[in-house]
Amino acid sequence: MSNQNNSGIIWLIILSILLGVLLSLQMKQNIDDYDLVSLKNIQMMKNEINNIRKEIDDIKELTENKKKELEKLKTVIDDEDEDISELLQDEIDKLKLVSGLEDVQGPGIRIIIDDNKDEAVVGEQINDDIVHDADIQIILNDLRKAGAEAISINGQRVMSRSEIKCGGPIIRVNGRSSAPPFVITAIGDPKLLYAAINAPNTHGWLLREVHKLRVEALMKDNVYVPKYYWAEQDFKYAKPKKEGE
Amino acid sequence: MIILAFVGILIGVLIGIYLPITYSASYSLYVSVAILACLDSVFGGIRAALEKKFNTEIFISGFFGNAILAAFLAYVGDRLGVPLYYAAIFAFGGRLFQNFAIIRRLIFRKRDSN
Repeated sequence: MSNQNNSGIIWLIILSILLGVLLSLQMKQNIDDYDLVSLKNIQMMKNEINNIRKEIDDIKELTENKKKELEKLKTVIDDEDEDISELLQDEIDKLKLVSGLEDVQGPGIRIIIDDNKDEAVVGEQINDDIVHDADIQIILNDLRKAGAEAISINGQRVMSRSEIKCGGPIIRVNGRSSAPPFVITAIGDPKLLYAAINAPNTHGWLLREVHKLRVEALMKDNVYVPKYYWAEQDFKYAKPKKEGE
Repeated sequence: MIILAFVGILIGVLIGIYLPITYSASYSLYVSVAILACLDSVFGGIRAALEKKFNTEIFISGFFGNAILAAFLAYVGDRLGVPLYYAAIFAFGGRLFQNFAIIRRLIFRKRDSN
């Protein structure tokens, strides 16, 4: 019995030491903010990681593209037969197209929006029967979402600085007045643009079916959108941000 | 007996502090549950010794078996998405206090009888 007891004590001490070792090892982990990690947390973290990875890939692609551009420019500069001004002219043309300084044409749609000319007034409210600047803006947004590449209203190109302002019976675009009917021309995939105006529950559909305005959309093989005339060409406040600043 | 066990734990802590061993933080949950099981076993051992029915085999098997089972439960719970380690925490935590209460009573009874 005594022998059994002695070995028991020894074992108790040994295992106590083991317990102590485990305890201190666990404490040494210094787990700050130890929290229950649920499956949802893991999923969220995974999503975050995926997003960041995607971002990194995008940036890598961007640097790759820039490197290629640089390579191209270098070869043109090194090659004495080629003229760099040609390349620069190409670049300028491309930028002009992007900034709306070029007349453009292509497949698209033409939308005619006009006030309700009927005698019977819907809801006895004159405001329900006329086209508002906000209606035009929503329709423009619908068109942009449907992939419109160039848009004009009554011959005024709509760009980033184009205002669409209410002026009583008229609207003002690019500082010039336009009276109804408003003809909106958009270049893009005609079917998509047409759907953006005519599909149920779009704003164009709402104007036509609820407010009984005249909203007509025509798919065209070729429409023409004029270039943008800058009213004020200088940017007083917006300055280009230099790289690395 | 009690003093010996606590001295053992102290020595172990000192050894552990100077041992250059670390493990992945993802295992810390399993280890902490296993530690609880070991602590329970040691308390149970002290109680058994005071009651003079200490059995070495039961003590050793309980020490390792409980720890492994508790860590295993925590692992399976993690896999299944159910916090099964609560079972180990409640079982061993509850028994820890129970053992401690009995140890106190045994000590004071012994002292009173002397």
